[in-house]
Amino acid sequence: MTDPPSGEAAFLVPGTVEAAVEALGAAGAVAVAGGTSIGLLVGQGLLAPSVLVWLGRIPELSVLEEGDGQMSIGATTTLATLAAHPRVRTAVPALADAAASVGNTRVRAVATIGGALGHADPRQDLPPALLALDARVEVAGGRGRRHLAIDELIDGFMSTDLGPDEVITAVRVPLVDGRRSCYLRFTPGSADDYPTVAVAATAEVADGVPTAVRLAIGGAGPAAYLVPEAEQVEGAPEGRWAAEVAEVAEAAARRADPVDDRLGSAAYKRRMVAVWARRALERCLGADGVQP
Amino acid sequence: MKLHARVNGSPFVAEVPATSSLLEVLRGAGLTGTKEGCRIGVCGVCTVLVDDRPVSSCLYLAGCASEADIWTVEGMAERAPSVVDAFVECEGMQCGICTPGQIVAVASMGPDVRDENGVRRYLSGNLCRCTGYGTIVDAALDAQARRRGEVAPT
Amino acid sequence: MTLAWPRVVGPRVDARDKATGATRYSADVESEGALHAAVVRSTVPHAEVLAVDASAALAIRGVTAVVTARDLERRFGDELCGRRVRDMPLLARDKVRFPGEGIAVVLATTRRVAEDAAALVVVEYRELPPVLDALGALEPDAPRVHESPWRYDGAVVDPSDPPNLQSGLVEGDLVAVDEVLGRAAHVVTRTYRTPSGYQGYLEPQCWTASPRPGGGVALLGTAKAPYRLREQTAKTLGLALDAVEVEPAPLGGDFGGKGGVVDPTLCAALALWANRPVRLALRAGEDMTATDARHPSVVEVRVGCDADGTLLALRVDAVFDGGAYAAVKPIPSANLHGMAECALGYRLEAFFVRSRIAYTTTVPKGHMRAPGAPQAVFAIESALDELASAAGVSPVVLRRRSVLAGGDRDAYGHVWDEARGTETLDAALAAGDAAPRPKDRGRSGWRRPAPSGWRRGRGVALYARPTAPPATTSLRLAPGDDGRLVVELPFPETGTGSHSVVREELAASLGVDPERVEVRQVSTASLPYDPGVGASRVTVGLTAAVRQLAGRWSESGGTEAVTIETGSGTEPPALSFCAQVADVAVDPETGQVLVLGVVTAADVASVLRPRSHRMQIDGGAVMGYGFACLEDLLEGDGQVWATNLAEFRLPTAQDVPSLRTVLVEGGRGVGPANVKAVGELSNVPTAAAIANAVAEATGRRFRQLPLTAERVFWALHGEAGEEAGEEAGEEAGEEAGEEAGEEAGEEEGPA
Repeated sequence: MTDPPSGEAAFLVPGTVEAAVEALGAAGAVAVAGGTSIGLLVGQGLLAPSVLVWLGRIPELSVLEEGDGQMSIGATTTLATLAAHPRVRTAVPALADAAASVGNTRVRAVATIGGALGHADPRQDLPPALLALDARVEVAGGRGRRHLAIDELIDGFMSTDLGPDEVITAVRVPLVDGRRSCYLRFTPGSADDYPTVAVAATAEVADGVPTAVRLAIGGAGPAAYLVPEAEQVEGAPEGRWAAEVAEVAEAAARRADPVDDRLGSAAYKRRMVAVWARRALERCLGADGVQP
Repeated sequence: MKLHARVNGSPFVAEVPATSSLLEVLRGAGLTGTKEGCRIGVCGVCTVLVDDRPVSSCLYLAGCASEADIWTVEGMAERAPSVVDAFVECEGMQCGICTPGQIVAVASMGPDVRDENGVRRYLSGNLCRCTGYGTIVDAALDAQARRRGEVAPT
Repeated sequence: MTLAWPRVVGPRVDARDKATGATRYSADVESEGALHAAVVRSTVPHAEVLAVDASAALAIRGVTAVVTARDLERRFGDELCGRRVRDMPLLARDKVRFPGEGIAVVLATTRRVAEDAAALVVVEYRELPPVLDALGALEPDAPRVHESPWRYDGAVVDPSDPPNLQSGLVEGDLVAVDEVLGRAAHVVTRTYRTPSGYQGYLEPQCWTASPRPGGGVALLGTAKAPYRLREQTAKTLGLALDAVEVEPAPLGGDFGGKGGVVDPTLCAALALWANRPVRLALRAGEDMTATDARHPSVVEVRVGCDADGTLLALRVDAVFDGGAYAAVKPIPSANLHGMAECALGYRLEAFFVRSRIAYTTTVPKGHMRAPGAPQAVFAIESALDELASAAGVSPVVLRRRSVLAGGDRDAYGHVWDEARGTETLDAALAAGDAAPRPKDRGRSGWRRPAPSGWRRGRGVALYARPTAPPATTSLRLAPGDDGRLVVELPFPETGTGSHSVVREELAASLGVDPERVEVRQVSTASLPYDPGVGASRVTVGLTAAVRQLAGRWSESGGTEAVTIETGSGTEPPALSFCAQVADVAVDPETGQVLVLGVVTAADVASVLRPRSHRMQIDGGAVMGYGFACLEDLLEGDGQVWATNLAEFRLPTAQDVPSLRTVLVEGGRGVGPANVKAVGELSNVPTAAAIANAVAEATGRRFRQLPLTAERVFWALHGEAGEEAGEEAGEEAGEEAGEEAGEEAGEEEGPA
């Protein structure tokens, strides 16, 4: 007689990051934060961990504070907390809007920023927003702490640069005076669905002239990606950047590497990247009359 | 693992696999008011409160409920009687399978959810195939008004 | 008898229990010592099963047996199972015919162990050519899904039929229809397609079977038609009728999906085989992919009118994908009643309808809310708009010219004393033109805004449906404790409020306080035959039966239990119309369709429980919206690709259009309570109303559902669409707005 595959697992509740890292050194150990992704994988029989390391009782990971020109968001900060945070909403609305868009009320109530990034699903809302905002991720592991850009952390389809004994500890988002940001997701079927494509844009606009323009795209490749051509818009005089925006939007579409799935064909998603990239830039730059 | 928590205000202890879902634990303990639906966190029929937050108990690992204050539909008449009454009086149900989840979700609404758009957005993860949602939204607005102490508009 | 007291509409009898979690659904009922069953399902569409290796599964602690078709055959013989056509084995014998078909069952002490072990069972297949396309399946050289389908008990085909015909239905006169169309001033011929769908109830099917001490088996579970299930289970397992007892539980949604007999009969067989209670609880994904999806359709419509837009003749030729077995279809023709009635709403000189259902190697197709009607009406009501365009009249004028009125003879030859098509259509149009009212949805007057820059369109569609006279049912009334009256029913509450109707009707008939009446559903051992819930027949039959019951109770003095059994009514049927007006906005850059609002006008007689009645209409309109815009099981290569509710998206509270309902009151219904059916009404015309609105908004005609943004985008943006050319026709609906009115509510700012 043998035991069924989904047998007993140890459940550990470390109180510090160091203890969590040590616990994750065991074979078959998996970090759990909000538990929505892990709960889904375990429930569907796709994951049979031998050790669950719950990060929900580590004080360091739940910090959400401003300092040194940045917002430090502890890894176990929930998406609901992020979406409702007054400073996040005013300073980095793209992040608040992305957090408010994930899943449903129940998911947002428990899912965490660290867990979302660790899951690395290309249809997720947070990666494009954080990429556009030039956020950096702090990771702790057996080799100490290191810092990664979003597109260094998420290095492919459902894949991260994290070692087996590493955990995300915090996400740091620069706070820049006068920076605008917006996040738009295209859900033409059900609003609760994953986006067909998602676009985040940030820019600083002084006297109508944009600088520091960043554009990131989600849902249209194995991972969210930046569109470096966005800098073409920089310096264009007020209201005179329509041609540049159109070019950047086409560049964003050229960089897309989407797949055919139920959310749309690759060809359609590519076209939608161009439309929504343009809309996000316009929104961010104020072209549609809406001040972000 | 041994799970220690409070469920509907009473101490709760159970020996459960750490990978089991909170849904399995609750139903296994006879609290069958919480339903199993899609099992992937989409439909909302398994909604329960964990430390005041609405969660999909089908995804929620039992271990993460350690020391938590858990409320299920069976406790709603005590914890949120106005919500239960609103659903009964507004007939916010048909087959009733989504009703426990709807009621728990409404019980978790903050006072900031005041209007119909807010209610619809908040409840968008609680599916209903029968009603078309009209009477559920009515019940939620009614419950929120009662909790604010307003006379329910008719 | 007539009512002694006015009917008092109180809270639903089931409301408080449902709101506190006390209601015990099938999955909530404990069964001491039950074994849990997990089904090993085929992963391929069509194959010979060469071997089943259960050794790894049997080695798992807690597994008591792995049961195959052979084991069941040795015990119960080789009877096949089915509601009318008995063509499906409880477990696949030598061959599997769809992905998801049961091949073996693991029995274990817990559900988790059974499922884990089922994943370890190895099946060796020799694959056969799949039959994936219903049209292709009817070609003479198509591979056979079944060697000799005409040999099955209840078969409705014969050897001269095309190889994979499951059932065929022909009505009308082909020669006459072609003759009339030949002299019509305008004729359009168009083909429309709809995908397979899932009923979308949130309670997966669940069964518990227990061997009875004296022999036989008791079955508790998700049974919409307990007596019919009893009959099929007994027949399949070679048992006497009274050796099977079916106890229904409250249903967590049905919509046509919970009438299947194969899974419960399998559960009963397992319990008898193991001589222990057995629970077979489907997971949501299994329920979606392996039970009884909605029929996908290809419907060709040919319709003609004279120069002023008066309809002359209608010819409909539909092919449905019936999946691997006909076993889940409940009506004797094994066809779809929505097809049988699809020419009902209009005066026609001639009509011809052919409906063919083909066997394919896909999940068996069953019933879903007005089976066949949403598909047929989407096609016909779209084609009428296309014809109106060709004839240069507005869609509303075209419909007004020919819709049935009182005294008219319908295409089938029946003369209707009352037919309120024009009144219903006009009521919908008037409501569509009126400003939104605070009570339209919730009390804050919520209405979806139309983003600026989007194209607007309005569409209409009509549906006509007969309400049959009261059907057979049975009831029992007995004195209870404390002066209470206990009324026993033969079928479960599905949520429509039927048990509340019984309480209120009985209280009013007897002149007692409704609080004194307790309503219970009881097992098949307790009452005479009832056909189960469905086909919008419950309220009609129940109200008639309740009055008969009350009469007998009063006659007998009201001291001893009274049981009644009603026969079918003989009075003529009534006709209900449903007209819908849909307002849409379409984003020309992305193709996104936003359905802003749906107005439903329903032709009603008496309304017994206004709020329950409204929910039937609202819920139907939302289901119609899902069919139009969202829902698709994505069958391809024989597989269902939308395997869960994250991929098969049901409309959410924030997705749904603003709904408004107007009742066209004062109609003549059937039965002593004077009612018309409502359950299978408002879900039917919605897709056509929306498609017609999108045609007006875009100048393009969409003949395939769902109306996804991508389909609309390629139609508007031409180039890349492999799909676009075929489905977006040349016909624009430019004239469509004239009568329907261009403005749909106020313009609001960007979303």
